[in-house]
Amino acid sequence: MANPMQQFEVKTIGPKIEIGNFDVSFTNSSLFMVITVVIISMFFVISTQKKSLVPSRLQLLSEMAYEFVAKMIAETAGSKARPFFPFILTLFLFILFSNMIGMIPYSFTTTSHIIVTFTLAFFIFIGVTVIGFVKHGLGYLKLFVPSGVPIVLLPIIVVIEIISYLSRPISLSVRLFANMMAGHTMLKVFGGFVISLGLVGGWLPLGFSVALTGLEILVAFLQAYVFAILTCIYLNDAINLHH
Amino acid sequence: MELKEIKSKIKKMKSDINEKNENDQKRVSPLGVAMKMGTEFVAAVFVASFIGIYIDKWLETTPLFILIFFVVGSAAGILNVVRSSKMINKD
Repeated sequence: MANPMQQFEVKTIGPKIEIGNFDVSFTNSSLFMVITVVIISMFFVISTQKKSLVPSRLQLLSEMAYEFVAKMIAETAGSKARPFFPFILTLFLFILFSNMIGMIPYSFTTTSHIIVTFTLAFFIFIGVTVIGFVKHGLGYLKLFVPSGVPIVLLPIIVVIEIISYLSRPISLSVRLFANMMAGHTMLKVFGGFVISLGLVGGWLPLGFSVALTGLEILVAFLQAYVFAILTCIYLNDAINLHH
Repeated sequence: MELKEIKSKIKKMKSDINEKNENDQKRVSPLGVAMKMGTEFVAAVFVASFIGIYIDKWLETTPLFILIFFVVGSAAGILNVVRSSKMINKD
């Protein structure tokens, strides 16, 4: 029977390239990242080519994506976070599209690898910290000192707050990666059951597979949304500094 | 007179749609919420234990700091969970 984890295997495409000690060969993961970026770019280029007052379906879709993210930023981080709109939109669409492309059979889900999601989360973490220090200087450290805490407890509280802050990129990346990997493994396992149980008992897992596919599409959207909205919340902490 | 009527109708419809959207979001969330809480808690323990291990390696005090940081990490995890549940309640 097919190995359910086989779908996550990273294979090099073309020649093996090494810079120093790092293997930087082009892999199927990189290929699907390129495909994701190309599809998103094409989607926006094509959908905004004919700008009409009464939008076509494609134009409506791109406008919806824009408004969805704009509303999300306005609600969670306020108007001061407006300059970061392009970043959040890119992030949201990249995750959404790579999740959705991963739902196509025989494709590869780039977000099912912890290193990919962790890189995204780590850059957000560094970026948000830098933004916080640039906007507030050393006053940003107040984020770790909640008001109204007795001085005796302060050392413990500050350590706890710092750990809580440091755990952000981990929880952000693990959530996305675990959801994608678990979902795809489950789909594959149920798919395997259909084959091994054959015509007699294969109908039940087939039904499950169909239901799980629907659930996975929901999860693909939900996780992209959660990733983007948490980025907005972290940005809000860095820009408006209130706890 | 008619214009006003239409205006109030539009207003009512819009608020209905908004309400519906909000309900939709609430229906989707429980699975996401459970996932979120779990990772929030585990991530804090993970990070803290990691720091503990490295301090121990550096000062050669195994297992003093890993024990301390495990407890502190659990506290930070609970803090994370409380915070995110507060956020969910606010929505």
